[in-house]
Amino acid sequence: MQNGRIAVPSMEKGGLDGQRSGHFGHCDVFTLVDVEAGEIKAVTTISNQSHVQGGCMVPVNLMAEHNVNALIVGGIGMRPLMGFRQAGIDVYHDAVRPEIRPVVEDLIAGKLSAITDNQVCGGGQGGV
Amino acid sequence: MIRLLLVTPYRKSLLELASAMEKYDDVELTWTESGQKALDMLSETSMDLVVTDKELGDMTGLEFAEKLLRVNPMINSAVLSSLPSHEFHEASEGLGVLAQLPLRPAKADAENLLKGLKNLKNLTAGITIGDKDPGP
Repeated sequence: MQNGRIAVPSMEKGGLDGQRSGHFGHCDVFTLVDVEAGEIKAVTTISNQSHVQGGCMVPVNLMAEHNVNALIVGGIGMRPLMGFRQAGIDVYHDAVRPEIRPVVEDLIAGKLSAITDNQVCGGGQGGV
Repeated sequence: MIRLLLVTPYRKSLLELASAMEKYDDVELTWTESGQKALDMLSETSMDLVVTDKELGDMTGLEFAEKLLRVNPMINSAVLSSLPSHEFHEASEGLGVLAQLPLRPAKADAENLLKGLKNLKNLTAGITIGDKDPGP
């Protein structure tokens, strides 16, 4: 990724040296990393909004409002994933590393994979 | 205006909910009787909320909620289900279902559903919608 804004769901205060949150919907803040010509130019954070039942589209809206181009998650449900895709925000996946910096650096270097449909949380088993 | 689609092959199961919804001036109700008909309709036109019966004839309510994500993930859904809440949560994880409803949802369920939907739409769009009270 040469140019754009990356968002990472983060714990507590976030920041490039902070820790990632396992599930984006429940994170404390989003760390936003602005990239220009493959270099990190700015790092900011924004607060997450309260998570309510069925509120999967709230973070999608928040990310779109902040002109995010790519999101790195450890876990995400199918509905918000579809929402991000509809909003034109690419979603990448790393469920292993808890630190923010290495996954951001990997995304910039093109070493992080886009999430696939079978990596989403739940997805419903069709039972009632 | 809040646009609601009610999906059920057994109209009786949603009559009380529909009756309560109809009292709101800012709610517009549409009915259809199968999951596929609802999906076809929603591929052409958007709704704020789809309420589905437990069984739709051609699919279950939760199967519909999953298929709806491929058509339009922005549309909210509520599903009639007799599952205990924790089992429903497990079965619907990731689908972003707004509410689990009892098999015969009543006036109070309609009011709670509308309240939740309006709250969600405000969070999502940053605008206030449909605050009209139906009165006593």
